[in-house]
Amino acid sequence: MRTYEIEEYKVFNSGHQACPGCGEALAIRFIVNTLGPNTVGVVPPSCIAIISGPQPYSSMRIPIYQTTLEASAASAAGIKRALSARGKEDVTVIAMAGDGGTYDIGFQALSSAAERNEDIIYFCLDNEGYMNTGAQKSSSTPHYAYTSSTPGGKPTRKKNLTEIMAAHQIPYVATATVGFPDDLVNKVQKAKQIKGTKVITVLTPCLDGWGIADNAAVKISRLAVQTGIFPLYEVENGDRYTINHGSQGLPVTAYLSQQRRYRHLTQEQIDHIQADVDYQWQLFLRKSKVNSFG
Amino acid sequence: MSQINQIPTIWTTGWTEIFNTGTWRSAFPEYQLRPSPCHNACPIEGEIPVWIQQLKNKDFYDSWLTLVKNNPFPAVTGRVCHHPCQSACNRNHYDDTVAVNAMEQFIGDMALVENWSLPAPLPEINLKIAVVGAGPAGLSAAFHLRQAGCQVTVLEAQAEPGGTLRYGIPSYRLPKDVLAQEINRLIETGVKIVTNSPVAFPGDLALLKQTYDVIYLAVGAQKPKKLPLLDYTASWVLDGLSYLKQINCQQAPVIGNRVLVVGGGSAAMDVARTARRFGKEVALIALENRGILPAHPAEIKEALEEGIKLYDGAMITAFREIERGLAFTCVEVTLDPNAPVGVLRPLPIEGSDFTIEADTIITAIGQNPDLSNLDNFIKTGNSLIIVDENNATSQPFIFAGGDATSQERFVSFAIGMGKKAASIILNSLGRKQECQSEIQHGKIPEVSYSSINTFYFPSMPKLQEVVLGVEDRIENFKETKIKINVEQALLEANRCFSCGHCLKCDNCFYFCPDMAVTKNLAKEDYEILEQYCKGCGLCVEECPRGVLALKEEIR
Amino acid sequence: MSNPTKMLLTGNHAVSYGVMLARPKVIPVYPITPQTPILEKLSELQVLGELDADIMTPESEHSAMAACITASLSGVRVFTASASQGLMLMHEMLHYASGARAPIVMANVNRTIGSPWGFWPDQTDSLAQRDTGWIQYYTESSQESLDTVIQAFKTAEQVSLPAMVIHEAFYVSHSLEPVEIPSQALVDQYLPPFQPEHMLDPSRGESWGNVVNQDMYYRHRQGLGEAMDKVPEASILADREWQTLTGRGYGIIEEYRCEGAELVIVTMGSMAGTARETVDNMRKSGLSIGLVKVKLFRPFPVETLRLALVGIPKAIVLDRNFSPGVGGILHQELKAALYGMAAAPEIYGYLAGVGGLNVSPAKIEEFVCMALKEEKPSINSIWVR
Repeated sequence: MRTYEIEEYKVFNSGHQACPGCGEALAIRFIVNTLGPNTVGVVPPSCIAIISGPQPYSSMRIPIYQTTLEASAASAAGIKRALSARGKEDVTVIAMAGDGGTYDIGFQALSSAAERNEDIIYFCLDNEGYMNTGAQKSSSTPHYAYTSSTPGGKPTRKKNLTEIMAAHQIPYVATATVGFPDDLVNKVQKAKQIKGTKVITVLTPCLDGWGIADNAAVKISRLAVQTGIFPLYEVENGDRYTINHGSQGLPVTAYLSQQRRYRHLTQEQIDHIQADVDYQWQLFLRKSKVNSFG
Repeated sequence: MSQINQIPTIWTTGWTEIFNTGTWRSAFPEYQLRPSPCHNACPIEGEIPVWIQQLKNKDFYDSWLTLVKNNPFPAVTGRVCHHPCQSACNRNHYDDTVAVNAMEQFIGDMALVENWSLPAPLPEINLKIAVVGAGPAGLSAAFHLRQAGCQVTVLEAQAEPGGTLRYGIPSYRLPKDVLAQEINRLIETGVKIVTNSPVAFPGDLALLKQTYDVIYLAVGAQKPKKLPLLDYTASWVLDGLSYLKQINCQQAPVIGNRVLVVGGGSAAMDVARTARRFGKEVALIALENRGILPAHPAEIKEALEEGIKLYDGAMITAFREIERGLAFTCVEVTLDPNAPVGVLRPLPIEGSDFTIEADTIITAIGQNPDLSNLDNFIKTGNSLIIVDENNATSQPFIFAGGDATSQERFVSFAIGMGKKAASIILNSLGRKQECQSEIQHGKIPEVSYSSINTFYFPSMPKLQEVVLGVEDRIENFKETKIKINVEQALLEANRCFSCGHCLKCDNCFYFCPDMAVTKNLAKEDYEILEQYCKGCGLCVEECPRGVLALKEEIR
Repeated sequence: MSNPTKMLLTGNHAVSYGVMLARPKVIPVYPITPQTPILEKLSELQVLGELDADIMTPESEHSAMAACITASLSGVRVFTASASQGLMLMHEMLHYASGARAPIVMANVNRTIGSPWGFWPDQTDSLAQRDTGWIQYYTESSQESLDTVIQAFKTAEQVSLPAMVIHEAFYVSHSLEPVEIPSQALVDQYLPPFQPEHMLDPSRGESWGNVVNQDMYYRHRQGLGEAMDKVPEASILADREWQTLTGRGYGIIEEYRCEGAELVIVTMGSMAGTARETVDNMRKSGLSIGLVKVKLFRPFPVETLRLALVGIPKAIVLDRNFSPGVGGILHQELKAALYGMAAAPEIYGYLAGVGGLNVSPAKIEEFVCMALKEEKPSINSIWVR
């Protein structure tokens, strides 16, 4: 039987304003409670910012700086460099941004920070859309998904941020999700020990944006992994791939059928998604074998 | 102008903990100990998830104590119970049932090896109970009554206690020493068993009523049903009950080489397989088709392996003596679907006659209680002693149970009836019994498969229960079941979902985005904070075993 | 270095030396013509071990300013530099910086803004940022740029507001002049270590940037305004102290030969240097002309200008900038500053040198004569060349 043994610092406070059952709040809990009090975080406009709390109340017992939407990586780099200049090298500096602030408007700053190997952990809490502003599409929104700015379904595929960041050959890139909290916690701890740029993309289902029940965030995130849509893996230095939890061959319908944002799919579209997932998974296996040296 | 609120405009210094997000919710989760399907199916109301969990934690002694709280004979039932728990087990819907029975035997056997004693009874009270019949029902009642402090005397007609366990079930299924050891434990707690003491009806009953406060009749069903076709005085006709009894008394009745056994239940299988062990050529004929034979599928399989020829869905219509032995004319039958429940009405199939030759015929077609001389004293009917829902007979202070009162002829049923009777007897005598089972039977809904979160249970095959090979078992009465070892027991215990019984796995604690589920270390329990819980239900969904449920909150 | 050194420096390099002496710890910066020599010299000084700072080179000016703000809020002195397009790109973050009360100092090299493309001196880029809550100083020489950078840190850190030190492309940024570089000891005496009241630091446990309600926002802007209001006095004191230490002072405005003037030229930046010559020439010819150089543009030194211009019959404003729909920005600001003052001068606004067009002392003399001839000024700024 699977049981979890997760040690937590008390950093995340109750009383925050996340929706009941929010997957992102759960991710924040595991991230900050694992990192502990010697941390400073940067948060751009996103659900995370709302969860951070209204002035003068904070939901996290660490300093949190709320920046502009495009500037998370640059802001975090500024903090890290300043604290190091003050002799405080041991402070962990992180950014927690949504997919909007990472895949789209914040991408430039992130790529640049990665090129400079800034010593920060960048967490993308990916709910596949601009959920805080009412569920508009982002480049992380998957193919055919309904959003308020793509009511007919998104015509293009989801951008693969993890592979892009891996191509920067930074020390550590990984995916994680709230359905596998022990895996997420392990990755947070690992990232904390590494110097340089670390990027972890955490799939965090949005109840309202995806159209799922209040109690379903954890369950849905697992299905994303088990259908092969969102494999959990790590890439070290751009070439060493480790698959933590991969596809178990579950058909994509097991995942799609549970979400209102996919309710309009035709059979053709479902087949297309299945074919695409199968293809990407094979490609991924091939790539991870080729790139893995151990 | 009044002082404008001087909350600082930048540099946050407070915590969101002041916000009462509990006002958002419309339902609140509740922890509840809920009955598992195995518990609800168990005639003895065993706390199955509890003792399995104790086994898993290697608290073997505690596991045994939990077992004997309800059933004093786990080594026995671990061998002969028909395990309705396994049929009801939620894991059937996932990969395969949990092998509860095998684990029960494991614990029972360990207790015998370690020589553990039953818990000491409560201080003796001035209540004298007479139990008539030392079969499973009687001994179970005796055990529970003695545990409560009563002075209990069991009167047994035969030379040894045990009833069906001793004289019915062959030793290759239930070794005699196992039975004896478990019964001895009862005696160690102060139960008096007087053997060779038949109780004559109705006279002795009246005498007993003078000495004892209550009598519990558990005389079993000792009168074999007979085929009207046969003359049971002939040397080649035997009834299965007395055949088995003689074997179990180490006597070997003289039977011919070719034996025909009539009957489709466990007793018939026992007869057939016993005769086979004496090297006889054995055939078995039963009215039911193989798929619906009352005997256990495992028994049937083993019997066939042992070379017993099965004529299912058939009956004997006539017989005649031939040069060597007898020729039985048989015909294939179907069972009338319109027959009343419990009645087998065979419909012969035209032109399907066939003949079976045999030297001896043994019938095992059911038993009834011997009610002779009892009917005028106590109300009987349908060949049973009539009891009400409180196990009371028509005579005051006389209760009854076991095979004498019920057509459900299972060892576990008998043990369960004895336990319930003990409770009722104590209540009737003014001794308030606290309900032994923590779960109010029937009041809390049992945990169904839909409440199980199977993600937490990687699929694992059930443990392989192995019996001796045919060559190793066919010529002796060695126990056929091979005991499982501790590794197997622990692996199997891991498969138990623990339906409705919290194992403190902490899932509810971890999966709350609001940290509203806390651990009250003093009470060693979870506590959900009213001021923060938003009622999302993640804790309920991620509880692997259905311990939590959302209850609507009306404000 | 304990004694001042004299070197031939361009305006940009002078800024670099000023920055070095001010001891910032983090310098996030992105190159753009004509600012690049600033960061190149700083990089050189760092490699030589003379500048102990972390120079961060992000991918855009927007990210550079984002990093400046957080580095500053994390408790270290911060410097950056930009120009034109880069400054435009930073615009969002400029507001963010002043709202955060981060005392960043930035050097801006005035350059025309596209489209169309150009690299010429024009002050519209920094003037277009006048609502962002940054202090703005305009300098006319290499020496002044060096001195002002150090003064800017002092004032900015006193009031907790960011400050720009601005000089024009090529006329100041790339012109060589003899510059006296004060000793490190002197600057250390003048500029104490940066010790902010609040910091992003786990040991402090404070956060910054949470959403505020209307009342808080209103009070926040009031607070910012109050800090701005303190800048003229703080700048004057900083400048006076600097004068005591180095012998060089500039004031927040400079009044040059305004006694009894019938017309005063009002301008900013390198144009002031050219106008000074015109004033000398015309005074020699017997005309009483004066010059007011506006150095502190934000906050606009209303009181000081009123005192300087009261009773002067005419003032011409030379604007090397243009705001469509309004005209010259200094022209507009001066009109507003003097509005309602008794005995205020008639103000003539001239759009001179917009786009980097060369303006000679003779040309300015022409503009002065034009204004002297006219009876009443036009309300609008006039294009002149």
